[in-house]
Amino acid sequence: MKYMVIIYGNKDLWQSFPPDVAGQAIAEVDAFNKRHVESAELLAAYGLGDELTARTVRVRDGVPAVTDGPYLEAKEFVSSLFILDCENEARALEIAAEYPFAAFNAVEVWPVLHDAGTEM
Amino acid sequence: VTQARRAEDLLRELTPQVLGVLVRRHGQLDVCEDAVQEALLEAWVEWDKRGVPEHPRGWLLTVATRRLIDRVRRDAARRQREDRLLMGAPPAEVARASGDGGGIDRDDSLILLYMCCHPALSPSSQITLTLRAVGGLSTREIAAAFFVPEATMGQRIARAKQRIREAGAVFSMPPPEELDDRTRAVHHVLYLIFNAGYASSSGADVNQAELTSEAIRLTREVHRLRPDASETKGLLALMLLTEARRPARTTSAGDVVPLAEQDRSLWDTDLIREGVSLVSAALSQGPLGSYQLQAAIAAVHDEADHVADTDWPQVLALYEMLDRVSPNPMATLNRAIAVAMVHGPPAGLALLATVEHDQRVAEHHLLYAVRGHLLDMAGSSAAAGEAFETAARRTASLPEKRYLHKRASQILAQPP
Repeated sequence: MKYMVIIYGNKDLWQSFPPDVAGQAIAEVDAFNKRHVESAELLAAYGLGDELTARTVRVRDGVPAVTDGPYLEAKEFVSSLFILDCENEARALEIAAEYPFAAFNAVEVWPVLHDAGTEM
Repeated sequence: VTQARRAEDLLRELTPQVLGVLVRRHGQLDVCEDAVQEALLEAWVEWDKRGVPEHPRGWLLTVATRRLIDRVRRDAARRQREDRLLMGAPPAEVARASGDGGGIDRDDSLILLYMCCHPALSPSSQITLTLRAVGGLSTREIAAAFFVPEATMGQRIARAKQRIREAGAVFSMPPPEELDDRTRAVHHVLYLIFNAGYASSSGADVNQAELTSEAIRLTREVHRLRPDASETKGLLALMLLTEARRPARTTSAGDVVPLAEQDRSLWDTDLIREGVSLVSAALSQGPLGSYQLQAAIAAVHDEADHVADTDWPQVLALYEMLDRVSPNPMATLNRAIAVAMVHGPPAGLALLATVEHDQRVAEHHLLYAVRGHLLDMAGSSAAAGEAFETAARRTASLPEKRYLHKRASQILAQPP
């Protein structure tokens, strides 16, 4: 089963960490990534740019309009995401709980749809 | 194309035989498996250029043995012991000794399969290793079938082989006291491979569809090696009777067509005939098992020319037996449909109510899908639509989600 795990945050949260805490958290994220790539459960992990650099695209009457910033009005933004492929949901939640920033903020675990299905 | 196809089929068939010979001689699944993969790659190139050799099995065994010796030589400084073991026989002699088409490879393939389904491995590792070591699929092919990066799949295969080594697995059949459990594990892995491939047959899912034919091929092989095992017969029958409906179970757009609405003229009558004959033989032979009963249920459906001709009392009787042989709330969900067809929707809904607090199904989309179906039969459109909507939201399968949404909107659009 594949899962997308999303980490949210904002400038205030990231700036609230003293430098040594932030440095350690980053080292822990690196170790987390390495550990789960080796266990072959982490398929991909990406950090995202600041919301200042996000763009929203809308096509109206066939004309694309691009605006600055994320689509939703929000106080917290997606800051990184990773994709897991593991035995079951329990294992996905266990891995999510190991993510260093789960201790500061929440991380979301979303099942990714697959193409196999039972005959109904 | 035909030539390449023939070479591919042949290589897949020969993989476990050649690997079996190497593991029997050398004892280490991981090193031998790497050597066989190298030989397979060489065969691809060579056979494509010069055609399939006269003795393909001997050719592959000779090359794989050479590659194995190369590997052992490379490690010789570190591992002189293994070197001594292997250098005893030159490759040509190894190849001659086991010959082409001889019978000694038969049990080797089976032992290899038991090794790949070792209890030290997780189900997904068992599946991966089986496809690679017994099925002869490349890392790239397995990665594509499961939609993961090739590097990830390579890592999984390496880890699975390492675990087998750490668990001290030896190249022999499991001891008698473990045989039943280990055979169940082998059946389960084959069943999981089949199910992983049991998706819509269109476009991007071709790789997954190959898993289904691979599962059938491997199960045929197990059945050939142990023709007296009734559950292997049952499993093979279940796969064939399910596969027979493949052409009818999706539209060209990839939408799911439920059993009751399928165009039965598209069903594969040869597969149905073979499946029915296998399951009949298994049931009369015994001992009874859950795959045989599931196959028998599939056979009752497959033998009805029209959905209205379905022998529902027979289906119900088989589900009741299944419930006694292996009680499982998922099977109860299917039994509820049979109960509704025989005794009416209220009786089916009453049976569903007995499992709706069971943690194993309480949040499962099929509980809601079956409830929606029974409520619709009972004429409770609003409640049925709501149940289908819940089912659609709960499933992790994209084709199922589309189908369940469609059912919900069709029912809710009906005038009350």
